[in-house]
Amino acid sequence: MNRRFFLRSGGIALASIGVSLSAPSFLERALLAQTSDRLTGGRRKTLIAIFQRGAVDGLNMVVPHGERAYYDLRPAIAIPKPQPGNAEAALNLDSFFGLHPVLTPFKSLWDSKRLAIVNAVGSPDNTRSHFDAQDYMESATPGRKGTPDGWLNRYLQSKTDPTRSLFRAVSLTQTMPRILQGSATTLTISNLADFTIRAGRSSSSVQGGFEEIYDQSVNDVLSGTGKETFEAVNFLKKANPGQYQPENGAQYPRSPFGNSLFQIAQLIKAGVGLEVAFTDVGGWDTHVNQGNSRGQLANRLLDFSGGIGALTTDLGKLMDDVVILTMSEFGRTVRQNGNRGTDHGHANAMFVIGNNVRGGKVYGRWPGLKSEQLYEGRDLALTTDFRDVFGEVSRKHLGTPNVQAVFPGYNSSESKFLNFLS
Amino acid sequence: MRIFKQNFTAAVQVARRALALVSIAAVFATPLSIDVGAQEKTKSKASRLSDAQRILHLLNRLGFGARPGDVERVKAMGVERYIEQQLNPGKISDALAESKVKDLSTLSMSTAQLYEKYPQPGQLIRQLQRRGDLPDDLAVARQNRGKASESQTPGQPASGASMMPEAMPRTATESNVSRADSVGAGRNNEEYRRIIRDYYLQNGLQQPQRITAELQASRILRAVYSERQLQEVLVDFWTNHFNVFAGKGADRWLLTSYDRDTIRPNTMGKFHDLLLATAQSPAMLFYLDNFQSASPNAPVGGNRRNRARARGESVLDSLSGGRRQERRMNRYPEMRPAQDPNMPQAPAQPPRRPRGINENYACELMELHTLGVDGGYTQKDVQEVARCFTGWTIFAPRGGGAAAMTLMGKGARENAGKFYFNARMHDEGEKTVLGQKIPAGGGMKDGLLVLDILARHPSTANFIAKKITRYFVQDNPPSALIDRVAAQFSKSNGDIRETLRAVFLSPEFDSPEAYRAKVKRPFELAISAIRTLGAETNGGPQLHQWIARMGEPLYLYQTPNGYSDTAESWVNTGGLLERLNFGLTLASNRIPGTRVDLKSLAGAVANGQAVDKASIMDRFLNLIVAGEISPRTRETLLKQLDQEVGPPIQPVAVEPASRADNMAGNNGNNIQPRQRRQQFVRADANITDPVTRIVGLILGSPEFQRQ
Repeated sequence: MNRRFFLRSGGIALASIGVSLSAPSFLERALLAQTSDRLTGGRRKTLIAIFQRGAVDGLNMVVPHGERAYYDLRPAIAIPKPQPGNAEAALNLDSFFGLHPVLTPFKSLWDSKRLAIVNAVGSPDNTRSHFDAQDYMESATPGRKGTPDGWLNRYLQSKTDPTRSLFRAVSLTQTMPRILQGSATTLTISNLADFTIRAGRSSSSVQGGFEEIYDQSVNDVLSGTGKETFEAVNFLKKANPGQYQPENGAQYPRSPFGNSLFQIAQLIKAGVGLEVAFTDVGGWDTHVNQGNSRGQLANRLLDFSGGIGALTTDLGKLMDDVVILTMSEFGRTVRQNGNRGTDHGHANAMFVIGNNVRGGKVYGRWPGLKSEQLYEGRDLALTTDFRDVFGEVSRKHLGTPNVQAVFPGYNSSESKFLNFLS
Repeated sequence: MRIFKQNFTAAVQVARRALALVSIAAVFATPLSIDVGAQEKTKSKASRLSDAQRILHLLNRLGFGARPGDVERVKAMGVERYIEQQLNPGKISDALAESKVKDLSTLSMSTAQLYEKYPQPGQLIRQLQRRGDLPDDLAVARQNRGKASESQTPGQPASGASMMPEAMPRTATESNVSRADSVGAGRNNEEYRRIIRDYYLQNGLQQPQRITAELQASRILRAVYSERQLQEVLVDFWTNHFNVFAGKGADRWLLTSYDRDTIRPNTMGKFHDLLLATAQSPAMLFYLDNFQSASPNAPVGGNRRNRARARGESVLDSLSGGRRQERRMNRYPEMRPAQDPNMPQAPAQPPRRPRGINENYACELMELHTLGVDGGYTQKDVQEVARCFTGWTIFAPRGGGAAAMTLMGKGARENAGKFYFNARMHDEGEKTVLGQKIPAGGGMKDGLLVLDILARHPSTANFIAKKITRYFVQDNPPSALIDRVAAQFSKSNGDIRETLRAVFLSPEFDSPEAYRAKVKRPFELAISAIRTLGAETNGGPQLHQWIARMGEPLYLYQTPNGYSDTAESWVNTGGLLERLNFGLTLASNRIPGTRVDLKSLAGAVANGQAVDKASIMDRFLNLIVAGEISPRTRETLLKQLDQEVGPPIQPVAVEPASRADNMAGNNGNNIQPRQRRQQFVRADANITDPVTRIVGLILGSPEFQRQ
């Protein structure tokens, strides 16, 4: 589907060359990449990074039902032990961990060994400020605020893209997130349909005017960017995102998060050369009335897993080349607070999803929840530095030649990888 | 399939070759009187700017571009006099700009007043609760809120939102509204918002989001209307040099004073004074955490907190009872349990970072504010500087709780959010900074000494000279110029005015190499577009929203290095597309609160007579880009004048989430959802007449992106 689609649209682009005399350098590069494995070294790998902003309660997302302390410390909000026929109970993963009952899409991914969990993972810095912790997770330099770029951008810098795709890194957000800031070119698109000249009834003629204006003066950096911009706009138009139909019966939640994932799927299928996609989803800061098997956290998890489940269904076989990685700035207190919620904690859980993930397993040493095992007497302790997870994805999935450059000041080493990727 | 691919590749090559031939032919065939790129210009042009170009250049670099008539005014006045005038803004009367900002009431309020009048809803409720003043309806609504539904307290951002506060586009994905949520829960939240809204109305309170919105509006209005253009340019420059992020906790309340009391009075004085002002500004102290930085040997506080943490209790729990603790709070108001708006929901706050030395400020002070990263300091210097600044803190940094205020009385209330030196937090030992001994027992003098050393350091002179010349001259300023300017900086003891004068009067400043060599940043682009068309604006969020979309929301740059000032940071696909759309939207009068009158601008040349379209177009070319546009662009524009308007637009296909949802910050972070939603629904351009179309095109041309 991928290649066929591309050639079709390539043909259209070709037809237009004769008329406008605009060389489709971006299209040409992308086409060459598609037709020659030499340039890309095979198929293109894509990472979809998802940030759960607000610190999701990892302990109710990936339930340690084998821990007595979990039930002792969370009398009102704990998820019941797995029990056949009980829809309120955790979905059993192994004898010790379970999933929140609304995470059924994740359960089937787990069962087919396409979902791995990294537990007790996070930032070694002990900050409990959302602001600082998100900053550190995105810069991947915990404790250092001055780092000018995000780690996903440093990954892009570490490896040249032979196709120089304009859609190499796309953030489906309204502003460029910290994680993608930096000198490598990235794109922020909140809505694919908006990625165009918007002049109402004159849109197409105005765009034509701009294309002519920017087609001149070859040495000018603005004109170069202008030309590339219109190539990208036109290319996306041909991909016709408005007409996109998900495949394999996938149904995305009608939520902003679902919409973002829906658009990421469009970009992947359009073969635009997407290597890094990012989006985020909020609402996890559950200090009050968190709920248990139902309630506000359950609702957020429903949207979260429904979206990701639809994405994996929609992408189908394409998931061979895709890894979905979820993250959240820190975990939440093991003990429920006086408002049936949880406060800011420390280590947390991440999901890694893909057809080539060594799934069906929880990675990372479990530190336990007995009071002497807790971090600062209250939080899940950390046993895996998030840079070891990010590093493994950068190295083994995306293929950075230089993990060290992506994580400056950290002794990244393959020996520390958890090997959730083969 | 394979054959097809080969054909395609071959065809591309043929087309490329043809294109190359055509472009070569074009180069030879077109006698470029005026070229586009700065680089080409230098080859084909005289080695000096014309008088008109020089004036335009001045208006672009010392200000935010020319309004209609400005070139003539400067011409009459003389270039040198204009520079002198701009270097002395105090002598320029500025009634228009002041009248434009006079309704922005937060600008003149103290930080304490802002805390009082613009409280965070969550914090307000807790204070009312503690005082026993929480109205019943609010208590009930709060109890029901979130039940079986959303997580967010109104006014309490999801953390994602806490990083991207008001007047800023929210990512669609930040929204918490899941349509799966039950209707009843939605109603509970709506009810809660309504009751909060009513409470605010009845008590004369306003949402804190307004503070940043007004500050942003004031920057826009002054940049557009002020006669003190250089002052506004320098406010932009120094605000970025000493960047503070409004999305970090209390900085939302602290930035108003930062702009008014820290930056503005010091833009053209001694650098040392500016540096000191920032070092003592609560905004910077909060942003870079210095307000928390305490000697590990500080007598009280730390141990108790650690003990509490070890027991798994929150600090508030351990502090809330007993008079002794209250007395302690009285003595150390900054040690009150955190009321960080980043995490205000927790009735019992989790403990913050353990007290001790925090090096953030020390690090950025040297790397970004003074010496520069290669300025010749070590990590040891950073540690020593951090020790010197322990105790430089903020009194009641988050406004203080109601209980604390009652305890401390009215005097305390007025001092909320102000700088003060807390000797008990200070590390009294001896320090060595950049080889210089700072004797033990210096107290607050330690920090002052450090600032003296840094302000006088040759690396600082060089770093500031480079940054100023890059900002005012070109992205890669000649090293000879940097050296001269640095020497002037040192010689004048860091006098910014003298330093700027050396830049403006240098031959490099108005050389052809510098002419239109800078790509405008989004803020500069927006302001110069409004000025060049003589448009009127209220500086409202709808306009700021465009500046944000183009990539430069004011006070919302997260990291301490501030917005970049070089072209490569701003010339990218997404940003350029929004620039083009901004020009179109402005020209077609679709930015609420901002008005252009193209008819009268066109009419000024028509003079009641029937004139041909081409002369109207030339009128706008002269107005917007001083007529400096390539013949081919002019041809393109001429063609556009005759283009028909397209068919009426089809309704946009329904997206999974409607556009309104994407644009509105409907994540519960507001108590006036409907109003906010309207505020942020973007109206796209809808161009139906040729004049609007060519004005939009000229505003989007490469020429107008430069200054």
